[in-house]
Amino acid sequence: MQEFISAFGAKFYSAFIDGNRWQLYLGGIWVTIKLTAFAMLIGCVLGVLVASVRATYDLTEQNRRGFLLRLLNGAAKFYITVIRGTPLVVQLLIIYFVIFSNTRNQMAVAVIAFGVNSGAYVAEMVRGGIMSVDKGQMEAGRSLGLSYGTTMRLIIIPQAVKTILPALGNEFIALLKETSIVTVIGLRDLTKAAMLVGAKTYDYFLPYIAIALIYLLMVIILTWLLGKLERRLRSSER
Amino acid sequence: MSADTIIKVIDVKKHYMQGEIKALDGVSTEIKKGEVVVVIGPSGGGKSTFLRCLNLLEVPTSGQVLFKGTDITSTDTDINTHRQKMGMVFQHFNLFPHKSVIENLTLAPVQLKKCTQEEANKKALYFLDKVGLADRANEYPQRLSGGQKQRVAIVRALCMDPEVMLFDEPTSALDPEMVGEVLEVMRDLAKEGMTMAVVTHEMNFAKEVGTRVLFLDSGKIEEEGTPEEVFNNPKSARLNEFLSKVL
Ligand SMILES: Nc1ncnc2c1ncn2[C@@H]1O[C@H](COP(=O)(O)OP(=O)(O)OP(=O)(O)O)[C@@H](O)[C@H]1O
Ligand SMILES: [Mg+2]
Repeated sequence: MQEFISAFGAKFYSAFIDGNRWQLYLGGIWVTIKLTAFAMLIGCVLGVLVASVRATYDLTEQNRRGFLLRLLNGAAKFYITVIRGTPLVVQLLIIYFVIFSNTRNQMAVAVIAFGVNSGAYVAEMVRGGIMSVDKGQMEAGRSLGLSYGTTMRLIIIPQAVKTILPALGNEFIALLKETSIVTVIGLRDLTKAAMLVGAKTYDYFLPYIAIALIYLLMVIILTWLLGKLERRLRSSER
Repeated sequence: MSADTIIKVIDVKKHYMQGEIKALDGVSTEIKKGEVVVVIGPSGGGKSTFLRCLNLLEVPTSGQVLFKGTDITSTDTDINTHRQKMGMVFQHFNLFPHKSVIENLTLAPVQLKKCTQEEANKKALYFLDKVGLADRANEYPQRLSGGQKQRVAIVRALCMDPEVMLFDEPTSALDPEMVGEVLEVMRDLAKEGMTMAVVTHEMNFAKEVGTRVLFLDSGKIEEEGTPEEVFNNPKSARLNEFLSKVL
């Protein structure tokens, strides 16, 4: 027992304390959080925009769909098909090594890649949400003289988002976990920190267990925050 | 067109499925200031379609709708500014569930820069008080009864200072005991001189409040006249048949 504790102590020391390695993990956590947050933001903005186009197309009578609307809808469909039909790692590699091969700003590229990826999934969710809002809501808004865009923004989308919030939450949790593959372009996120420490100390056990626990903790916190948001949105109707 | 005409409808047709369904099949009429035009007719006769063509929620397949002389079916017309002057009340209320009563009432006036938030609040509270719902201002629609919801919906339209109000079966979704409170609000509105077009199955309301009755059947105005003429001296066989069923 004594032996085990002292051996564990030594491993713990080399995994976290020696050479101030804990700073590597902290830095990694920060990178993971930043990446997730910005990618979420881009995903939401992009998702809502794309969903608005798709839903507007769906809601417009066939013979009243203009050229621009058909074009935008085609582009949106193409984007969603490509993003959902290819692996995220491959998208990340293409964006980093092909499209932005001249930049070494891994963070910016990663944010774009994960944001664009998330946007496709968010878009389909939001579109589903928009289509589920009662048709009378748009009519009520329009009958008051509000424009289509204003009615969408103030009446339809808030209700759509509220109904899809649980699904949206799952998407964000998946996004947080999936950011770990950003190591393939060399960004020093939480996973990369553990890999670096393991490579130095020739012991991967503690670093990998540690980051698994850290990811778990972050997911639990995010879940809690989303639950709080959901409750707040719901309570406004009661 | 005389100066007190608010809405003029010229040979409006609305077809669906490449003309297989003729929801409206050539309707022409005029709504003058202060009139209460009641639209009656069998289900599927085109009443809703007619009303919704007046503020272009339905775009006519052909024909014109003039609002105070402006052809609002023309693509050059900014429909939004004209809709501000045409309040609409729906069968299913269509209140905004994520907004409180007062927010429902002030959203459009403030968004459209008709007035400041304070002015909008003041006006909303004034109208709410008139329909007996002043104490409900901060409630959410879910917490209101059907009759209360419909009164709020009427106030929401009124807050835009409309020149005409369109009602599509405003009491059809209500429990019987709540029909009266909504009709009373509408009666008061009519008394105050509001121009109204009302689709309804409430024949007593049509007789008492209506200044003119349109009988719509198969997308056409089959017969029209004062309530006296339409209810006491129906001419067409279709109207006779309809009245014998509903009266
Ligand atoms: N979007 C649509 N597509 C196809 N047909 C439609 C559409 N809207 C209405 N119609 C048809 O047009 C006709 C007139 O409908 P409308 O709703 O105006 O009748 P209504 O007089 O209001 O009937 P109700 O008393 O049942 O409300 C009906 O035959 C209806 O089925
Ligand atoms: Mg109808």
